[in-house]
Amino acid sequence: MLGQLSTIWKFRHFWLSLVVMDLRTRYRRSVLGVGWSLMNPIMMTAVFCVVFSSWLNNPDWRQYGPWFLAGLTLFDFVRSSALSGCTTFFRNESYIRQCPLPLAIYTLRTVLGAAIHYLIALGVVLAAVCVLQPHHISSMLSVLWTLIPSLLLLFMFCWAISIIASFMTVYFQDSQQILEVLFQVFFFLTPIMYSPQMLKDRGLGILLQLNPVCTFFELIRETIITGNIAPIWAYQKAIIVVSVFGAMAIGCIARLERKLIFHL
Amino acid sequence: MARIHLNDISLQFRVRQARRITLKEYIVRRLYREAVNPFIEVNALRGITLDLNDGDRLGIIGHNGAGKSTLLKLMAGVYPPTSGEQKVEGSISSLFDITLGFEGDASGWDNIRYRGYLQGETPRSISKKLNEIAEFSELGKFLDMPVRYYSAGMMIRLAFSIASSIEPEILLIDEVLAAGDLAFQNKARNRMQDLMSQARLMVLISHDLTTLPTLCSQAIWMDHGQIRAMGPAHDVVAEYQRSVNGTVPVLAAA
Repeated sequence: MLGQLSTIWKFRHFWLSLVVMDLRTRYRRSVLGVGWSLMNPIMMTAVFCVVFSSWLNNPDWRQYGPWFLAGLTLFDFVRSSALSGCTTFFRNESYIRQCPLPLAIYTLRTVLGAAIHYLIALGVVLAAVCVLQPHHISSMLSVLWTLIPSLLLLFMFCWAISIIASFMTVYFQDSQQILEVLFQVFFFLTPIMYSPQMLKDRGLGILLQLNPVCTFFELIRETIITGNIAPIWAYQKAIIVVSVFGAMAIGCIARLERKLIFHL
Repeated sequence: MARIHLNDISLQFRVRQARRITLKEYIVRRLYREAVNPFIEVNALRGITLDLNDGDRLGIIGHNGAGKSTLLKLMAGVYPPTSGEQKVEGSISSLFDITLGFEGDASGWDNIRYRGYLQGETPRSISKKLNEIAEFSELGKFLDMPVRYYSAGMMIRLAFSIASSIEPEILLIDEVLAAGDLAFQNKARNRMQDLMSQARLMVLISHDLTTLPTLCSQAIWMDHGQIRAMGPAHDVVAEYQRSVNGTVPVLAAA
């Protein structure tokens, strides 16, 4: 495993240059450039605030807007890591057939691209909080440093999911469609639009416990919005989540990497 | 110190007849109690034993489907052997397929960098070689264009320039040089002879039986996954031609 990681580091220029190329290609012909990837979550936030404000007991849109946007962009990051992970090996087939590089490099390419989009969106969330809740700025800025380990854990989680999805899709073609449907359902089971309290009130607290994304909501979303450092148990839970999914990803690589070329 | 050592290598794999089964097909076939996705067992390589060191130039000839490209990919580390012992030492530069490893939307210059990084170069080392590679490929202004618009010959010019400029210890070339024009083939031959004089290891697959003996000292003749003949290039080529044509071949002046 360490050998693989050192090889991945050795070829860092390769996958870094491809990530840069992916970003440039994606927005080559568009006017707004990277702004387009922010349009979707911002418009969704605006719609939810305006249309559903009465349905959700009239929350103050100045508070609710950034909170919803933070949750939505995080969920989008996890979702796009998983779904783009599905097609990774097929898109990079030409490299796999030419050079025996560690297969984790190809998932790294897509997850890193998605991570950059997420960081830009996170920047927008922070800016929104600064603009809409100016009294909150100082407390938020004081806890921003805690986001660094949280974001690292989130990145490792998404990379692990991407690797698992990529191996799954090679063996079961329908995996991508199944994952798309699962994420649709997952979207409503995760407290993005509503607060976690609503699930707990209805005795569905177990869903919060089992949902790995909720852990990252605690670490990232709540920290930004409330300005308090996340509790230790949240970090512990995140480490457990990353370890479990990381172990599954490493297991996939150890068992399936060598023979994967025969299944492509 | 480049070295390729293969001892009794065998490679078998199963190819599924339908590459990927959808859920509907799976259910239908199960209902009719047919094999869900029958596979074909392929014995790609059997009992391959080779020992190559610095300065060896090996040519591989044989019929289509004999396992030549598979053997080359096994040497590169892309395919793991099913049984046998394999030791490959030295940095490898490979040219398997014209379009492999090119990013279509990127320009020629960018692709030089990407392929360079793929072979382990750093930004600093590749910047030094950029002009030299561009000059060798003779593509000029075309290097500013996205690679998707290149012809096959242009792509192979670029791919060969990059692969041979990296100064690899082992150079593996599949039958790609045929796409280049006459001038380029001469250039490539000269470049390969330069590489060989630097005591590098080269393995070349070719159907061009007249030029192969000029580039390679040794050759093997592959037949249905096995080595049928191994020895000096001239002799193996003559044997192969005899077997295919049934006549005594007329060899070009060496």
